[in-house]
Amino acid sequence: MRRDVFQAIADPTRREIINLIAHKSLNLNSVAENFQVSRPAISKHIKILTECGLIEIKQSGRERFCEARLEKLHEVSDWVEQYRKMWEARLDALDNYLRALQTATKQQSSAKSKKHGKRK
Amino acid sequence: MANVNELKQATATRDVLITRIFDAPRKLVWQAWTEPEHVMRWWGPKDFTSPVCKIDLRIGGQYHFCMRDQNGQDYWSKGVYLEIIPMTKIMATDSFSDAEGNTIPASQYGLPEDWPNELLVTMTFEDLDGKTKLTIRHQGIPDGQMKEMTSAGWNESLDKLADMLR
Repeated sequence: MRRDVFQAIADPTRREIINLIAHKSLNLNSVAENFQVSRPAISKHIKILTECGLIEIKQSGRERFCEARLEKLHEVSDWVEQYRKMWEARLDALDNYLRALQTATKQQSSAKSKKHGKRK
Repeated sequence: MANVNELKQATATRDVLITRIFDAPRKLVWQAWTEPEHVMRWWGPKDFTSPVCKIDLRIGGQYHFCMRDQNGQDYWSKGVYLEIIPMTKIMATDSFSDAEGNTIPASQYGLPEDWPNELLVTMTFEDLDGKTKLTIRHQGIPDGQMKEMTSAGWNESLDKLADMLR
């Protein structure tokens, strides 16, 4: 199965879990208490989030805490950046092309004026 | 520099917003965008060629572009014109496609599976004393309901994007 950040945030319960622990790590029970669904269901979501790299489980004494790894979310904005980069590169090419076109036109017209208008 | 709030708003709805001022009259910029013989000269990224470019510039008309990389791999895109105001505005859909013009899921091009098959692109052309301001808005890039996310990490990404525009 696919395990990436898009998969991780595709489910509303998983998004809730990330929001819940974004600012403060919580142990597994505390996370589960916030949801109507069964504890095994929550465990499964946490497992997926872990596999997608959005959550890290940390053992502290007898308890296991869920810590959010939000850096991973950058991957989503990276797609937007890729589109931006593609456009920027394309517009650079257009800019060069427009310059070349105008230079060519200027040269042509100045060549013409030299030909036709022989003035001192 | 782009207004940071404007940018945050745009990225919150997963739009890519780009503006560029060209030192060229609007008529020429418009031609460079709408006439195949011009488009083929610049559309592809560096080291790409653009062997095919069909433009049927009318509402409901289609475009079909091909970019070819150095290894001869072709990347096709196509779309339908939804709005055309000569010298002023073009709005069109944007999809990946094959050589025959069939839509191809974005996942075949290595994008995530939840990527929409059709994006929306709007280009506006403004005259600035003989120069031309071009604004491109690329909409429909999936947000994965990221709007709900108020996490620090997400805001950092936006700030990073804002920095890039400075």
